[in-house]
Amino acid sequence: MNYEVVFLKGALAFYALATAAAFVYLYNKDDKWSSWMFRLVGVGLALHLVSFGFGMHYFWKIPDNRYYFPINSFFGALSFLSLATVAVFFLIESRHQLGILGAFVLPWAVVGTGSAIIFANPAAEGLVPALQNYWINIHPVVLMTAYAAFGNAFGVGVALLIQEHQIKSRKPSELCYRLPSIEDLDDLNYRIIVWAFPVLTVGIIMGGIWAYSAWGRFWGWDPKETWALITALVYAGYLHMRFVKGWRGKKAVYVSMLGFACVLFTFLGVNYLSPLHGYLSGGG
Amino acid sequence: MTRILRSIRFNIFLGALIAFFSAVGTILPQIGQEPERANAFMQAHPLWTKFLSFFGLFDLYHSWWFMGILALMAVDIVLCKLWNKPPDAGIVALPPELTNEEDLETHLDKKEAALKLKPFQAFFTSKMGLDDAWKTARGHLKREGYAVKEEFFLPGTAGAFVGTRHRIQRWGSYFAHIGLVVILVGALIRSLFGFVEMVPVLEGGSRRMQRLFDPRSFSERVRELFWGHPWTMKEPVDVYVDKFTIEYYPGTMNPKLFASDARVMSGDQLLGQKVIRVNHPLDVNGVRFYQASWGAGGMFRSVTLKLGKETLQLPQRTPVKIPGTPFTVEADMMLPNFTVTDGQADTASLDLKNPAVRLMFSVGPHKTSPLWLLKNYPDICFTEDAQGQLTHAPAPPFQLAAIDPILFSGIQVAYDPGFPIVVLGALMWLLGMIALFYMHRRRVWILLESAGENSCRASLGAWSSRGTREYEAEFGALAKSLRSELKSEDNFQMTENPIVEVS
Ligand code: HEM
Repeated sequence: MNYEVVFLKGALAFYALATAAAFVYLYNKDDKWSSWMFRLVGVGLALHLVSFGFGMHYFWKIPDNRYYFPINSFFGALSFLSLATVAVFFLIESRHQLGILGAFVLPWAVVGTGSAIIFANPAAEGLVPALQNYWINIHPVVLMTAYAAFGNAFGVGVALLIQEHQIKSRKPSELCYRLPSIEDLDDLNYRIIVWAFPVLTVGIIMGGIWAYSAWGRFWGWDPKETWALITALVYAGYLHMRFVKGWRGKKAVYVSMLGFACVLFTFLGVNYLSPLHGYLSGGG
Repeated sequence: MTRILRSIRFNIFLGALIAFFSAVGTILPQIGQEPERANAFMQAHPLWTKFLSFFGLFDLYHSWWFMGILALMAVDIVLCKLWNKPPDAGIVALPPELTNEEDLETHLDKKEAALKLKPFQAFFTSKMGLDDAWKTARGHLKREGYAVKEEFFLPGTAGAFVGTRHRIQRWGSYFAHIGLVVILVGALIRSLFGFVEMVPVLEGGSRRMQRLFDPRSFSERVRELFWGHPWTMKEPVDVYVDKFTIEYYPGTMNPKLFASDARVMSGDQLLGQKVIRVNHPLDVNGVRFYQASWGAGGMFRSVTLKLGKETLQLPQRTPVKIPGTPFTVEADMMLPNFTVTDGQADTASLDLKNPAVRLMFSVGPHKTSPLWLLKNYPDICFTEDAQGQLTHAPAPPFQLAAIDPILFSGIQVAYDPGFPIVVLGALMWLLGMIALFYMHRRRVWILLESAGENSCRASLGAWSSRGTREYEAEFGALAKSLRSELKSEDNFQMTENPIVEVS
């Protein structure tokens, strides 16, 4: 039996329940829903960590790969990305108790773990020579952590747009009073991005340093690199608009959402342009 | 003109332009990245190609105009940083600027009015005399990590000072942006002085690099300069690969190891020697030799032919007699990834996916027409006529048991003197961002006015670049602890002004 998958399925179940609780909380005033959501997410996260631990064990079986995290397959990447998304969400939620954020972030974790289980092959295969480097423990991990944070910021952005719509509409519903104020949501969106952006750029630079040590070039304009750069440029645009032009609210959130679209494209879409980078080609 | 150039709006526009064209380059096949796809596209769309090549769109990232945008951006960042002060909502000057103690006395009332303009304020009365309260307050702020500046003290009347923390944040923005420019400079240095050359070397052989380079190390060059040696002495360099190894994970075709046992020679002089693996290049005075690719060119040491119970070793192009028969057999050619193109034998790539060998049988002076055998498909066989046209033949009574190909190892030689500069720039960028985003500046203005022997009034104003919510809590804690240090007992009031935005 592959315990990695078993525990991941368990995590998925709890994420799904937590998502359901989060949606109920959108329409039901009772705070018990949000605190249930929080607890369910906590259990899911714990199971997910156990699954990740088993992944390490599975990897351990290939003697040549013992020193590498089991994230360098499509399965591993999706699982880690969901893990990081939920972990960041857990952190934000424990500090800010927004309650409603779960409805906009947790679906990503459900989709991520779900597609890992359904579409990806969990078998750990030996790493191709290009990936046998300690950087594989760092470079993708750093980048996917940034992605996870951007995913949370996206959720906050959605909440902001809903709130904006509510306030503009003639009869704001119950939801309007549950959601934090536009200023607070905008502030939170900004503060997540201000953490994730440096992490993203540092991850990109780490990729460059790896590329130099593996191929003798820091930057080669391969599609993954290029799209990572585009993503960074869009978020840099967001930060500048906020800092310098004083953009707030809807306008700023649209820019940050464009950034998240770039994140998704970098993670998934680029693989259709060229399989040159990462798990599909083995990083060649 | 400079007004446009140094505006941040223009810089953001340049950023958007770079993002846009970068994206175009990932959709349109680029010669540098995917030469086969680029060539295929060019053949399929000749008219478009004329137009697109005119603008260098097939080598977009190295076109003069794309480089130009990057350079303009670098210049622009510098201009922006030279002209524009970092946005600083915090410095709301105390009116009038107090420069000496007499001013403090005459404008005491105004100073308090100024404090009331600060985003956060707190007021209370201390049960300490001015002298003691002054010392205590300064000491307390220092202990809280604030630097005490702009102190003014009028014995018996009043004292004022400013406490600041994380002033370094102001420089964060400069540091991060200059870091970006340094990275671009590193890239420029690479494109001016660096090079990349692909050197395919047959196993057991060597190949001379097209590029000459100086085999001496930097320190050697400096030393020899004094003895009249020139700074550069370009010499031809040969790369030897004595052995090339591929290993696969057991039971799979997933490669585990590519390794070249390589030497780099300049004439008789050994410049470097190492088993080069992917991720483990050989370094010769900064010029690095990478394991980049490999392939089979069509040469082999021998093939093993199985005829019933017999096996025969056939070296390339050497006729071998088949025991017990009048026949001789010769293997003359190998294709690593056999395919049929226009009715002729061809190879789809240089890796050993579907190796095939051409055999010729002869009896005395009579030769049969050549026969192609596929190692992975023993039932498939082709005969080749004089024009090279292939025809299917029935499954032969002999098979290829093994091929021992001579591989070539693709050694990529790269020199990038800009790399350390890029790393330096990356470090500046990182440090700059840490300062800019995480070291929030705080400013606390404190005014103490004597109110009798054992009493004084304390007024606090504060500003921070931290989020309003967080700083409110932090300032509340600071004011509270200061109040207890100053032995205050009265009701404590704290107010929050709307943040004063400075455009
Ligand atoms: C300038 C250089 C590089 C940049 C900008 C870059 C960018 C990225 C980005 C944005 C990701 C995010 C994860 C994703 O979207 O799937 C990623 C993942 C990854 N990169 Fe890089 N990278 C660079 C160099 C390298 C090098 C040299 C290697 C290895 C030879 C490498 C191997 C990987 C791997 C294995 C992943 C993770 C894929 C996965 O496990 O899902 N990268 N890179």
